[in-house]
Amino acid sequence: MSSLILTIRESVRYRGRSGHYSWIAHRLSGLAILGFLVLHVWDTANAHFYPELYAWSIAVFKHPVFAVGEIGVMAAVLYHAFNGIRITILDFKPELWKYQKRSATLVWVLFAVIFIPIGLYMFIEFTARCGELGAACWQFPRLSDFIG
Amino acid sequence: MTTVTPTITHRKVKVKFNFERYAYLFMRMSGLVLLILAVGHMVIQHVLNSSGNLTLIFVANQWNSWGWKAYDIFLLLFAIPHGINGLRNVLADYIHNPGTMKVINIVLAIFVVATVIWAAIGISLFDPEAARQAAQGLPG
Repeated sequence: MSSLILTIRESVRYRGRSGHYSWIAHRLSGLAILGFLVLHVWDTANAHFYPELYAWSIAVFKHPVFAVGEIGVMAAVLYHAFNGIRITILDFKPELWKYQKRSATLVWVLFAVIFIPIGLYMFIEFTARCGELGAACWQFPRLSDFIG
Repeated sequence: MTTVTPTITHRKVKVKFNFERYAYLFMRMSGLVLLILAVGHMVIQHVLNSSGNLTLIFVANQWNSWGWKAYDIFLLLFAIPHGINGLRNVLADYIHNPGTMKVINIVLAIFVVATVIWAAIGISLFDPEAARQAAQGLPG
């Protein structure tokens, strides 16, 4: 445990500047996507294996907690994709390393330009939907309504 | 004082192709594929469609065609190994005991195979008619 805390503290403290922040963001976004992905894949397989359970789970995923998480996953996928392309290009074209700092900034700008309108759109769409539902928007659906 | 311009020299190095090198190349290649498949999936399902409209009927309409089934199976085939190998890379940075790492590698490999097979069977065998029947009488 103390080694985990040490790892986290030293990961943030190391001052590699722009490339260091890209590295942290790439790791965190990757782990976040993986957490969602594993849940999503096993859950979606239930559409075939256990449709009633699947129907309940997607009703749960309409809760505001997951709606906000969905916007987070969108952000993570977009950053991870753009920065992944940067890593791949720099790995295969080492002569471009002299632009590594500029490329890290470019990825952040590209991410902001593409994510901000998409994230806003998703948030507005969700608030409109939740507003229509009223109090029901905040209720978790009961499993017993779907199975049994 | 003269300034020295750093130059990068190229030299061909014979690299033995072992598992770690294939894993490294796989991350780059699958990453390019996922740029299309995963970002495309996010835009199609979470922006153009909305998870607010997601129901069993919606899934039945989507997986009515082998085109969408194939898209999702390809996404599965690239995303799960890419993600789990990424996790393996992160763990390998912090776990220095080769024995522990070997156990983790085996567990993660089994997890990848099990997940891909289970979900691919689920997508392939998904029957839209059966799903529509199951959806009848369910809330939402």
